[in-house]
Amino acid sequence: MPKTLATFQNVTKTYKQGAVDVHALRGLDLEIHAGELTALVGPSGSGKTTALNMLGALDVPTTGRVTLEGTDLSTLSRKQLSALRRDRIGFVFQAYNLIPVLTAYENAESVLALQGVAPAERRQRVYALLEEMGLKGMEDRRPDQLSGGQQQRVAIARAIAANPAVVLADEPTANVDSETAEMLLDIMQRLNRERGVTFVFSTHDPRVVAHAQRVVRLVDGKVQSDERK
Amino acid sequence: MTGPNLVRLAWRNLWRNTRRTLLTLVAISFGLLMAVLFTALQDRSFSDMIDLAARLHGGHVVVQHPEYLDSPTLDRSVQDAPAKLAAIRALPGVQAAVPRITGNVMVASARGSYGALFIAYDPALESPTTLSFLEGVQGDMLDSADGDGVVLGTRLAKNLGVGIGDKVVYTATDSTGEIVSGLARLRATVGTGAPSLDGALVLLPIESVRRVLGYTPGEVTRIAVFIDDSRNSPRVRDAVNATLTDGAVALTWDEVQPELNGFIAMKVGGARFMELVILILVSASIFNTLFVSVMERTREFGIMLAIGWTPRQVSGLIVLESVWLAISGIVLGAALTTPLYLYLKSHPIDVSAQFAADGAPMEIAGVGIAPVLQVGIFPESVVVIVCAIVLATLLSGLYPAWRAGRTVPVESIRLV
Repeated sequence: MPKTLATFQNVTKTYKQGAVDVHALRGLDLEIHAGELTALVGPSGSGKTTALNMLGALDVPTTGRVTLEGTDLSTLSRKQLSALRRDRIGFVFQAYNLIPVLTAYENAESVLALQGVAPAERRQRVYALLEEMGLKGMEDRRPDQLSGGQQQRVAIARAIAANPAVVLADEPTANVDSETAEMLLDIMQRLNRERGVTFVFSTHDPRVVAHAQRVVRLVDGKVQSDERK
Repeated sequence: MTGPNLVRLAWRNLWRNTRRTLLTLVAISFGLLMAVLFTALQDRSFSDMIDLAARLHGGHVVVQHPEYLDSPTLDRSVQDAPAKLAAIRALPGVQAAVPRITGNVMVASARGSYGALFIAYDPALESPTTLSFLEGVQGDMLDSADGDGVVLGTRLAKNLGVGIGDKVVYTATDSTGEIVSGLARLRATVGTGAPSLDGALVLLPIESVRRVLGYTPGEVTRIAVFIDDSRNSPRVRDAVNATLTDGAVALTWDEVQPELNGFIAMKVGGARFMELVILILVSASIFNTLFVSVMERTREFGIMLAIGWTPRQVSGLIVLESVWLAISGIVLGAALTTPLYLYLKSHPIDVSAQFAADGAPMEIAGVGIAPVLQVGIFPESVVVIVCAIVLATLLSGLYPAWRAGRTVPVESIRLV
């Protein structure tokens, strides 16, 4: 039986959009298991974004509970949430979102620096990671000197450098070509397989779905189907 | 050190929009330049004015009878001047201390008589560095404390219709209330640049006047004390007062000449207002740069907060950017200001044409004003200006920093 990493327990989320209430989640119940590569799929407005935001401790439910490693996220302070995101969650964004004035190395080490890891250890871990990502020799390049695929690989390195409990990936292949997308997916699959990194994707991309071990389909803010391969 | 290198990151962020940063730095530099030059003109002008007033009147610190300031009559004198002078000259910061008898006299010639102010001094002890009038003398200086010479203001000599070698009679009320007179021969005239003084100035040898007034040896109306820096007047006054045991009091130049002090205070107040305006303009420029920069980077701050930066770290980054702006602006400002300052220091600007259109010299509170603009800034003024700019820069960055720290990641980034 796989270990439960995170849970959504009857989670609802209602936004105000002008005078209109928008129900993004309508009683979502879901468990994310450690070591799995899970894809959240579904049409626009199905609640993928909101679910990922909540799992990333960026948003809070209107009702219900979201837990990560047994901790109810709604009980944490702003500072505790910052620390949780820093130490236990990795983020890979659709538009890479590297800090433009930092080099590839500096971007990748930024979370380790936030954690206070010693410079020598940071250097060792990040250089190894960048080499693993096929970015050896590009450590001193800034994001605008890297291709989209290279930037996304730096983003992945940043996300996993601190050995988080889960990496949340937002349409990680949306802005890259097919070849690069395959390469990125191979990398993430390898990290999942060899390092046991837990990935949760939000995606429309069938290639991502093809690499996932589990596919959760959301419709109207609820789980419509949950399939394991 | 834990955490990211915020100092380095802030520096790099500053140069993301080079043009905007350069424009802001120019604004800070220009503000610094204006503030320094403006203050340098003031500091030099007021310092010169105070020094001149000291040399025209009773020094930076004056020792006199406690009631002499209220009514400067000759019966309000100070005794035992030699001992007092010796004690005062030994004090740190004192450059010179000289005895004087000053008061009102009636000066008469064959043509008429005029009321005047007399200063009786010892020619052996005084020079233009203690008595400004001595540098404008035309004729033979007084050469003895006990001679029969007199020096008159140019306008007074003209009014009296006397020339070099002519006799004049001066009449005063002595310490007992008796009318006493002395005869003197005009040796020179003096032009001070201050019309009121030129029409009422009489310089006399101190021993001769002491004899005419019936003063005892060592009796004077004033001891004029000159110091190296007029800003130290209160400290020297207190030190002098500590040496006085017979009721005589020491006063600073501004206590003796409140009208000059009032004029300077008024001008300083106006200058402070101008400096505040400059500071506000500089602050507005810095605020604009930082605020626009923060608004442009909202998404980036959201990402940073999402990956584990704390709001305090994000705010701190913006504060550091404002610190870098301040440091860079001050360095650039110093590079621009220093050559101009040094040039103006060695090349005073002659404004005599604008300053005295009618050709008459100008005076303020009895002090003649030189028609040249000279700069000279006090070190503490530089410190105040730099601190004010740093403070303005930091304050300008506070709101943008707060905004950056308040960024809500989920609202600023599109996660899915």
